[in-house]
Formats: sequence, C-alpha cells, structure tokens
Amino acid sequence: MDKITLGTKNVSIEFPGVKALSNVDFEIETGKIHAVLGANGAGKSTLMKVLAGSNPDYTGDVLYNGKVVELRKPVAAKELGIQIVYQEVDMALIPSLSVAENVMFNHLVMNMGHKQFVDWGQIQRDAKEVLKRLNIDIDVSQLVGNLSLAQKQMVLIARAIQSTCNFLILDEPTAPLSDTETEELFRVCQHLVATENLAVIFISHRLHEVLQICNSYTVMRNGEIVDNSLITPETTTKEIVEKMLGRSFEENFPKEIVDIGGKALEVEHLSEAEGNVNDVSFYVRRGEIVGIAGLVGAGKSELCKTLFGALKKSAGTIKFDGKELKIKTPSDAVKYRMALVPEERRKEGVLVSETVDFNLSAACLGKFCKMSFINKGKTAENASHFVKSLGIKTPSIYQLVRNLSGGNQQKVVVGKWLAADCDVYIFDEPTKGVDVGAKAEIFKLINEIAKDNNCVIYASCENSEILSITDRTYVMFDGKIMAELETAKTCEDEIMHYAVGGTEAYVAS
Amino acid sequence: MNQLLKKKSVGRFLMDWAAVIALVFSIIVFTIMQGQAFFSAANATNILRAMSITTIFAIAATVTMAPDGFDMSACTLASFSAYIFASSFLWFGMPLLVSAIVTILFTMVLYLLTMFLILVCKIPDMLATCSLMFVHQGLGLWWTGGGAVSSGMPTRWGGQPVRAGWTEGFLNIGRAPWCIIIMLACVAFAFIFLNYTKHGRYLYAMGGNRVAAKLSGINVKRYRFVAGMVTAVFIAIGAMVVCSRNSAAQITGCDNYLMPSLAAVFVGRSVGGAEKPNAIGTMIGAALVAVLENGLTQVGVVYYVLPAVKGAVLALALVVAYASKKED
Repeated sequence: MDKITLGTKNVSIEFPGVKALSNVDFEIETGKIHAVLGANGAGKSTLMKVLAGSNPDYTGDVLYNGKVVELRKPVAAKELGIQIVYQEVDMALIPSLSVAENVMFNHLVMNMGHKQFVDWGQIQRDAKEVLKRLNIDIDVSQLVGNLSLAQKQMVLIARAIQSTCNFLILDEPTAPLSDTETEELFRVCQHLVATENLAVIFISHRLHEVLQICNSYTVMRNGEIVDNSLITPETTTKEIVEKMLGRSFEENFPKEIVDIGGKALEVEHLSEAEGNVNDVSFYVRRGEIVGIAGLVGAGKSELCKTLFGALKKSAGTIKFDGKELKIKTPSDAVKYRMALVPEERRKEGVLVSETVDFNLSAACLGKFCKMSFINKGKTAENASHFVKSLGIKTPSIYQLVRNLSGGNQQKVVVGKWLAADCDVYIFDEPTKGVDVGAKAEIFKLINEIAKDNNCVIYASCENSEILSITDRTYVMFDGKIMAELETAKTCEDEIMHYAVGGTEAYVAS
Repeated sequence: MNQLLKKKSVGRFLMDWAAVIALVFSIIVFTIMQGQAFFSAANATNILRAMSITTIFAIAATVTMAPDGFDMSACTLASFSAYIFASSFLWFGMPLLVSAIVTILFTMVLYLLTMFLILVCKIPDMLATCSLMFVHQGLGLWWTGGGAVSSGMPTRWGGQPVRAGWTEGFLNIGRAPWCIIIMLACVAFAFIFLNYTKHGRYLYAMGGNRVAAKLSGINVKRYRFVAGMVTAVFIAIGAMVVCSRNSAAQITGCDNYLMPSLAAVFVGRSVGGAEKPNAIGTMIGAALVAVLENGLTQVGVVYYVLPAVKGAVLALALVVAYASKKED
C-alpha cells in the first residue's frame, strides 16, 4: 500500500512570553504507531493541535506527502484525513444522543446538504459498519451517557475513522483507562494500523505502554524535538526519561531549614469513592513540607480534595495529633483547622465577584462578627494586614478579585487560610499559571507557614518544584503511592521513574 | 483611548442604572402627560400600595436567588398560606397575632418539603419547585374544601365559623399605610440580612461561586436551608397581606404575583452595578412595574393591553441590564 507522510518543517508557535514550539521538524508515515513523549508543558499537545488544524497561528510549514499544506482550520486537517481524539472525551460527545448519532456526527452535521429528514436505518447501519471495522461490540442504539469512559473513547475513534482517516492522533488516551481497557485500546490501534494502513500518533506518559505498542517515538522538551528513534527490544524507559528531562534544571528556590517536629497528620488507607485515590497512607510532621509528586491525572488533586472532604472518602482514617478527624464536608475540614489551596484558582479558590476584603475573611468570617453582624472595620483591618504582609498588589482592599493578576489571586487564597489560622495547609498546584516572580513569593510564603510549626502538603506535577521546596515526597501513580522519597537524597529521574509506574526499585545510573 | 474609556464608562453607568433611569423617566413622562393626577401624594400612596405585595414576594425571591436558588412555587405556597391564615382567623377564631404566627410556622413547615426535594433528593431547584406548585395548589384546595375562605361562608365541614366576619385590624394589614410599612420593613430586613450579616455574605458567596464557597469551608447545604426558611417567612407575610387586601383567601389568590416578582428581581439585579439579587434593586424593579401600571391606566391604555406594554418595558430594562454579559 502507498505510504502517506505528514510532517512539519520549522514550525514555531509563540504565546505571549513563551515559545511553545520552536523550529520543530517532525515526520510520520502511515502504517505505524508513533509515540510523542515529553514532560508536562514540553509542547506535545501544541504540536498535535497544529497538525489537527486547531492552532492556526503557527509559523513554518506543514507538509503532506512532501507538499506544503495550510492547516489553519480543523476542517482543513479533517479533509486530509487527520483526525484527533482529545483526552477529555466528554467534550466531544453528546451524552443524550445515541451511539449511532455520535459515531455519525460529522456526517449528520456536514453531509446532510438539503436533506431534512434523518434516515435512521442508514445511520444505524453505517455506525454498525464503522464499529465492525474497529472489531468492537457496542449497541449503537444505546445512549452515549450510559457508556464507560473506554467505550466513549471507542465511539470517538469510530467517529474519527468514519470519515477519511490517514492519521489518527490520540492525546493521552490511556490516562483514565484500566489495564484491560488499555489492552483493548491497543488491540484496536494495532488492528487499525494493520487493516486500514493509517498512522496512529500516540501521546502518553506511561512509558512501558509506549514500549509495548509503538514502532517509533519522538521526545520533546521545552518546545523542541530532542530525539527521534525507533523502538527496539533494547529501548528502556530509563533512557527515554533521561531524554525527556535533559540534564539542565535551572529553577531553584531557597529551601529554608526548619526544625521538624513529631508526626502530626497521619493518613491511613485512604480511598476515594470513585477509585481515583486508592489505599493511600502517609504522614506529615510539624514544620514539614511533604510533596505529592506524580503526573497529571495520577490522583494528586483527588487526594488533596478527599483529605479536605470535597470528594467522598470510601475508606481510611485521617488523624491529627492522634485524634481521628471525621471529615465529611469541607466545612468539617475547616473546623479541624485544615486549609486547601485548590488547583483551579478561579473556579474553586477565590470568589472572583467579591472584594479582596471579603475573600480574605471568607474562611473565618465568624471571627469578625458580633451577633452575626459583620464588623466591617475588623475585616478591613484583617484585609489590610494580609495585603501588606503578603504583598498583594491591589489598588484597594475593596477591589474585586477578578481584576487581580493570577499570582495576586493566589496570594489572596493563601491569605484567606492564613487569616483562619490553620494547622494543616494543602497546596494543589499553587504555582499553576503564575509567573516566576510570584512563584518565588508563594514559595517563600509556604516556607513561612511550615516554619510556624504547621503541616504542609504540596502537590505538584512539576518535579523541580517538589525537589526545591519539600522535605519528603510521596510519588503517586494511578491513585496509589508508589514510593516515599527523602527529598535531599533523590533526583528528578527517580521521581519520574516512579511517576510513570515503575514498580521495581530505582537504580541510579 | 481616553475617549474610548470614557465611552465605556458612560455605557457602564447607563447599564448599572438602567432600572432607575427607566423609573425616573416614566415618572417624568407620566407627570408631563397627566400633571397633578399622576404626580401627587395620593397617587404616590396608590402606587406604593399597589407595589407592596409584589415587592414582598420579590424580596422572598431575592433571598432565594442570592445563593443561586430558584423558587417557582413561592406564590402557590402563598395561596395555601392565605387559606391557613383566613381559616385560622375565621373558622377557629384565633386572635390576629396568633393566626399570623400559625401562618408563618405553617409556611416554614411546608417549605421543609421544598428543601427536602432540593437538598436531600438533589433535584434542581427549578424542577423541584415546578412540581411543588401542583402539590401546593391541590393540598390548599383540599384544606378549604375546594373553595375560597371568606366571611359569611360555612367552614369546610359545614359548621358555623367562630367569627362571623373580618375585624378592622385584619383588614388594616392590606390597607395603606400598613401594607407599605410592612413592605418597607421586609426590604430593610432583607437589605441588612444580605449585606451586613455573615449569613448574607455567605449566601452571596455561594451565588457567586458555589464550588469556591464550599472549598472555603462554608456549609453550603445549611445556608441554602437558611435562605429557604427566610424565604418562607416572607412568603407567609406576603400571603397575609394579599388575604387582607382581598378580604378573603381566594382560590389561587397569590399565584399571579409570581412572574411580576421574579421580573422585579431580575430588573433589580444590576442596579448600582450590584450584579446580584439585592433588596434595594428588587424594590426599584417592583416600583417600575407599579408606576407603569398606574401611569398607563391613567393615560387610558385599556386594562387588557396593559400586560403587553408592561412586558415590553421590562424586556427593555433587561436588555440594557444584560447587554454587558459576555457570551459563553
């Protein structure tokens, strides 16, 4: 069969202040499964979006069979048979419609022309036909809302191959899947490559899977391509991890030495009701900053939220100073003097439509009340104090939080909990979307909190941050803790080794 | 650039004060057209009296909507409460104050059902209260035996009522100045409750971002319940004023106040740039409706066309108020 190639030449993308892709030369051909690898923020998804036509602002050329093509619109990519299945399957599916309609969605939207009536028999027959090509068995009259995540993914793959498909891009398809579901996905991919001569481009953090299924791989780092290689039986995850990380870590923040006290927070066999946290046990001592490392989707956020009562706990105990904490809701957690700085700042952390003043007193408003009436003088005093001590840049304490910058909003969230004077502070990706300057200030703040004899939990997928701020680190993979590491004695390689699911002990090279 | 900013802030100003401007504008227009007949103390009392009931129900809706709740069944519940008020006063001969307390307690107890559906069964507010509308209507008429409760009529079981008729005190509730005073008290209470107590601030926090409020440790279920109970009290008060105004607890006597009261809250949302349901805005919204009704009648618009004109002006106020909303 004829091979088709798809490639990029000198493709760059610049976002304000960041170079997301710089001069990327990339090529794949049909009949292969190719992996694109890299740490978070390496530019994998950005590159895939260029190929899918949803990143119109690239410079450089995209080549299809050696000819320059303009992929400035998703439709342009689809016409060339480049189909992408994004990680968030629910974004692309309509749960209230049947499997048949979802599979044939492109047809229903694009090819109806002047036809006004839907030929249900035809739609169902066609959908069945496509699913048969994938060699999978799903009832097409069923509603998509009733399907499992893995089945939804199959529906999306079916939709992708229903129209012309030469290149199928799967963006982290296995992240939410169980082992058997992953096997099934692999079988489908291999079946497609064998029978339809298409190329599957596979983005994944799970390196052992990549070695199992892919023919070749590309490693990206900081928006550049570092390596293109074939996968041979000799290829090891370790060498890929080394390529992914490179050897240069620049960001280093000062870690202050704090006297660490006795065990205060003890968590035993904690599980979350939906299975995103699975039998997790750990402890935090007073004055200690404990890191929770792991890749996106490893269950770090879920662990933080389960501790805080925002997600339902199915098993396990949480103790503080030997006393069991019965936490069912976040408001229980706050009563036990716990604080959570959540990942989605604007959605979960601050009340953007309220003032700085109100946000800073929101977690402990009772302190500023007399007979339920708010003493506005007192809240203002509190707000002014924290605006000053945290260096929150705002024209006035009555400014709406929506008008502050990301870093300053984050300081408001931290300030809210400082005002409530908690014992346990949980930080979930606190530096997400804040600039380097604000990052350093937030780190300083977290150090201060630990110094005051509090327990700090710091969850982040940025290993360099984990290494620079924590005393001890637990590495999570698939909702489980894979390893407990002494930060001073570990390195990024070791964290990564466990974060991609390594079970055997790490051996330094 | 400067000019653009200026233009923007002028636009912003118009949007924030659209309801007030519409109110002042219509007062001026009607005054020019009608002179003393419109712009007089007597007519002002008329307007205030006319708006009092809508305002009380709108205040109830304001408290529900502050934490982003919604209640379609408020006014059917009020009709039921009115039956209870009238029957406890007439049939059982309770003193006025006792009847009022019984009515308020009854309304709160029945509101537990609303809260049960919303908080325990987790049905969306809109759907839960839609179904409760029918429950209220049916149960209410079961209580009265299918008719209104009014003086000179036998009780449900055919007996002689303890009281033969209404007393002056009872009828005064619905008359000026008492109904106006009650309205102002409700507005003042809601204003203070929502703006100056921690409970009110928590409700607004929930309305602004429920997830963030929850993750700040606010017990969102408890505060939704608090909002429901406060709403129930206002509904009971509204029911009593209606009952007294009509000198009877009529069948579906309060049901028609639902839409005007919701409209008042929506119009009032943006007043002064508050961008949330607020007591003062709500009162201005209700005043706008009442002024239009009064003025248009005087100008000679026939009563059956009135709703169309009223609706159009409300829609206009809403268009301006929501013009700044970003599209998703």
